[in-house]
Amino acid sequence: MARLAEAHGLFGVLAGTTTGAVYASTATDFVRIAVQVRLGQEHPVTIAEELSILDNVNNGRTVVLVDTAELSAGEAADEVAVIREALGNRPLRHEGPRWKTPAGLPANATAPKAIAVTPKPAQLEVPVWITGSAAASVGSELALPVLARKPEQASGERYVQPAVAGIRGDMKEDRELVSRWAEAGATHLLLELAAGADEAAVLTMVSRYLAPEVGMPHFPRVMSDSKVPLPWPGDEARRS
Amino acid sequence: MRFGVGLFSLQCTAMQPRHWTGAYRDMRELAILMEELGYDELWLSEHHFFYDGYCPALLPAAASVLSVTERLRVGTGMLLLPMYDPERLSAVATDLAHRSGGRLDLGVGLGYRDIEFDGHGVSRKQRLPRMLKGLEVLEAAEAAGGPRVWMGAQLVEPVKRAGQRGHPILFSAALPFERCRTLTEVWEEGWAESGRPASQKPALGALRNIWLTEDAKEREAARDWVRASYVQYAGLGWTLPAIGEHQQQDYADETDKAIADTVETTISGSAEECVRQLQQFEAIGIKEIAFRLILDGEPRPALESQLRRLADGVLPRLRDKVPA
Repeated sequence: MARLAEAHGLFGVLAGTTTGAVYASTATDFVRIAVQVRLGQEHPVTIAEELSILDNVNNGRTVVLVDTAELSAGEAADEVAVIREALGNRPLRHEGPRWKTPAGLPANATAPKAIAVTPKPAQLEVPVWITGSAAASVGSELALPVLARKPEQASGERYVQPAVAGIRGDMKEDRELVSRWAEAGATHLLLELAAGADEAAVLTMVSRYLAPEVGMPHFPRVMSDSKVPLPWPGDEARRS
Repeated sequence: MRFGVGLFSLQCTAMQPRHWTGAYRDMRELAILMEELGYDELWLSEHHFFYDGYCPALLPAAASVLSVTERLRVGTGMLLLPMYDPERLSAVATDLAHRSGGRLDLGVGLGYRDIEFDGHGVSRKQRLPRMLKGLEVLEAAEAAGGPRVWMGAQLVEPVKRAGQRGHPILFSAALPFERCRTLTEVWEEGWAESGRPASQKPALGALRNIWLTEDAKEREAARDWVRASYVQYAGLGWTLPAIGEHQQQDYADETDKAIADTVETTISGSAEECVRQLQQFEAIGIKEIAFRLILDGEPRPALESQLRRLADGVLPRLRDKVPA
């Protein structure tokens, strides 16, 4: 799927786990690798270390989609803050409502009062998007993009406004859907394909019609509706 | 015998600067080369919060290698188990093992640096209980088809415990042959006490510093890269305590002596000499050798040349007739 998305010029793919994200990374060269991180399951420094390795494997193409999961808004904000500080370029010394890092535990007598999580990500700043029940609060507190699930949740003011929408493979319906999201201010739309969908056909519809139409005001549809240029003789199978 | 290469720690050191992203790309390229040359396994190593980016998250690094290879196994040598949530770790490792067709070996160790425990909110006093709890979780996963659990241990009690629990060990390259023999006997005692049948006994493993060459200048350079790579352990504050007749190796406070002793463990010489010394390990039940070839200061062409030389001169003479 990651290769297919890249071949169609989409901006990225979403992986449910870091392992899946690593596999998608080494299979591609250009697409962003969005990876879901569920809070409350592991120490945030460990999460940051894993994300940094991922970002070095894909040469700075990582986007983190944080799910606040079962955490309260305050706990989630604190955990996201530790992850971001750990990925940053300053020594980490954090004391919040959920985490104190380094912990300063008596048995760890020789531990210093600050740590540096290494390696650093390849990017100067790893994009972090928020989703989950506490997303609005966490996004507001930390000034991070919140994944919109309905057009009315999107903001046209944000530089980046991620959103997610189910796509059916029906040109008329999907065209209306994508247009609604664009008008609402979505900048990066994660597409959920229906189970059993013909992925190649759906992505062809997206790359040939839907993406150009929202990518340029008053897109002249003749360019999408025209006949597809002939393939190099003998190359028909690859083109189809 | 089976042969691997390590320890891939993905460092960008003061003596050999490079871009971290390049280190991960190099590892993937070298893994593909290792697979072509017939090596069995690539071994990774973990530390945290070190200036040079010493790899702190082995499973994503392992996934990057497994995703670009088809036969090569990847081992963690060692993942510092007490610092992880064992349930999550087990789920991630099992997923990776399944994705890769069962090519992950999950080596785990205790860890010893206060800073690493404190940075993960773990009291060093809790490292053994957390290790044992973590092992229970990983053993249950292994029994259900998850990755094989290996252990890293250099002292009598943990080595015996590994034998009792049925886990193979990958011995440090810093251990001289005689110390490996002593610890192998300890592991065998543990295995015997567990009552497991001898027929199920796994082969033990050892990292070995090695450089196949008959050229004096090249040998001198390789031994110096070994020296330089063990300077890292001084910075990491590692100590190998004495056991029985075997002396302590304190890299932090007796740096020069510890490093000099370790350099002397390097197997070097002709293919015949390398084979002869490796056969000593095979004779005591250490049949998985990981060549410790990732050295500070070593140029990549030298590494590739050595990989090819060992693959041509040593592997065919010692490896299993039918690769496992």
